[in-house]
Amino acid sequence: MRRSRTVFAFLATSAIVVGCSSGGGGGGSAAPSSEAPAASSPAASESAGASESASAGASAACNPPKQDGVTLSFTSFGGVYQEAQRKAWLTPYTELTGVQFTEDENSSNATIKSQVEAGQVTWDVVDVGNDFGLDVHKDLLEPLDFTLIPKDEMNADLGITDYRVPDITYGVVLAYNTDVLGAGKVPAGWADYFDTAKFPGKRGAWDYSEGGMFEFALMADGVAPKDLYTPTLDLERATKKLDTIKDDIVFWQSGAESQELIGSGEVAMTMIWNGRGWSAKNIDKKPVEIQWNQQIVTADYLVVPKGSPNKDAAMKFIAYASCADVNAGPSQYIPYGPTNTKSTANPAMVNDLSVTNADENSAYFNDAYLGEHFDEIDAAWQAWKGT
Amino acid sequence: MATADEARSRTWPSLVSARPRVNRWSALALPAVVFLIAVFLVPLLAMALRSVTDPPGAGLSNYQQFFEQQAYVRVLTNTFWVALLATLTCLVVGYPFAYLMTIVPGRVAGLLLIAVLLPFWSSLLVRTFAWQVLLRDTGVINRFLLDSGFISEPLTLIRTTSGVILGMSHILLPFMVLPMYAVMRRIDPEYSRAAANLGASPLSAFLRIFIPLSLPGVLAGCLLVFVLALGFYITPALLGGLKDQMISQLIVQQITQRLDWGFGSAMSVLLVAITLTFLFVASRAVRLRDLFGSTTEE
Repeated sequence: MRRSRTVFAFLATSAIVVGCSSGGGGGGSAAPSSEAPAASSPAASESAGASESASAGASAACNPPKQDGVTLSFTSFGGVYQEAQRKAWLTPYTELTGVQFTEDENSSNATIKSQVEAGQVTWDVVDVGNDFGLDVHKDLLEPLDFTLIPKDEMNADLGITDYRVPDITYGVVLAYNTDVLGAGKVPAGWADYFDTAKFPGKRGAWDYSEGGMFEFALMADGVAPKDLYTPTLDLERATKKLDTIKDDIVFWQSGAESQELIGSGEVAMTMIWNGRGWSAKNIDKKPVEIQWNQQIVTADYLVVPKGSPNKDAAMKFIAYASCADVNAGPSQYIPYGPTNTKSTANPAMVNDLSVTNADENSAYFNDAYLGEHFDEIDAAWQAWKGT
Repeated sequence: MATADEARSRTWPSLVSARPRVNRWSALALPAVVFLIAVFLVPLLAMALRSVTDPPGAGLSNYQQFFEQQAYVRVLTNTFWVALLATLTCLVVGYPFAYLMTIVPGRVAGLLLIAVLLPFWSSLLVRTFAWQVLLRDTGVINRFLLDSGFISEPLTLIRTTSGVILGMSHILLPFMVLPMYAVMRRIDPEYSRAAANLGASPLSAFLRIFIPLSLPGVLAGCLLVFVLALGFYITPALLGGLKDQMISQLIVQQITQRLDWGFGSAMSVLLVAITLTFLFVASRAVRLRDLFGSTTEE
């Protein structure tokens, strides 16, 4: 009898422990490097400032004033990504201005929303994916100070709004495993991704309706990159194309998983964030190559939550991170590129950058469109998955 | 106080023996109860409120939005279906194991108990990834079969419903085995012997004496496993295919990516409501006290 009581005590404790870890396990899919869903729009906002004030703003951005005693909170996605941002931006900024940083590594749109709604905003500068910072989020964000931030130097294709400025570019690309495909077989673009006769093997895809799979399916079907969203994203056409390889698709939930899938050869080709493809090849030493043709160029953005206690200091820092001399800093460490068109990226890394490989075949996410039509797009994705 | 109890036991003996003893020591549970109400019940009610007030004036529109999408409803039914399959698998595997634990000598039973409990002490995510490594096309099982020449193409073990059930059952098995074992422990072996004396075959004694006596434990275990399985998220995501999506994935997406907390709350409320219904129905059949160990009997 006593043993059954001990057993039940075990059971109760374990139930609590496992219950907590099941819940926690559920949240463990966030990518350490940027995990941004679909991004920017070619419909860039016009910069209203005269070029004179813009260049004056630019030099002010690169030379921030001394601000001793100020502590800023910086939140990003952790891992090597945040470390690169730290080394390129945070540390030099501290040396220049005396501003101290407290960092968080768990950037999440939902956290920003709950902080603002509760009136307890602790985050000042947040790195977010391309699904945030749009005009629909104006209740959650401070409008950025574009007298400081050099807006007209930034890449206009990346969907700058009043509330966000892009800080780092990356590409959603086609990666392929050369061992699985065999020597001499190189996919030229997304049409080859959908051609399992010529390139047998499984295909990896991000399990997210706005991750880019619909766009890639349309491009494979012959839609020009600039026509992807006009007049609407043709979900029916994309779904029909996706149906042709449905049985061969393997879904991944996180960047790490995509890196693992292509590196191990579990899939012959996959859509992947270029940083992950780079890591599979250069860090894991796997036979993985990237096909840059028809990539989707996208970015992560810096935003300031509404009600942030250090708003002015946050704006000065964002201006610094956006200025031409500093913006390309992270490319010293990771294959993610600058968003400032006047920046020079690390020569050793420049060929691995999305922006360097961007051409007329590259596409850009229309964030505003995707934000507005999410329910429809997601419903189509779920419906396609289920049939 | 003591005389009052004695007086009561003289006049209402049956009532007193069935009533749990409530005394001033029960007040020690009060902080825990308050904590649970504040940290668990209140947010749950706030979420239910949110499902009808976000966006303002929503009423039942969030629920309507959910049921309008065929795909979402299919995900909800799939969640219950997968949870049911996982429960049945755990039952089929767990029952013989629990029975084994009752008939082996004490030391061996202790070892078997540790074998059941050991997976608890590693992370759920690690265990799920371990299943991935075992089951995938380039994984351990397929590599072994391919290299020994038993098969020429890799078997599709992962990204199937069976892969999901396998992973979930592995993780949920202790929850099935432990309640069943605790109940089986209390079944007096004299009953089986008495049945044998009266002419029953061992099989007949097992079927007609042992199994009915063990049913409370079986139901308790099934209930626990089923409710836990409903909330699984990572295991179906990593081991499952296109059709194996569970509702928790949709909820997470609405809350964290979409920021549509009204809709996410509505889906959560649906899940909680259906689960509570199951619990209610099952509580008619199972004495929930058995789940947590009775203190007044035996």
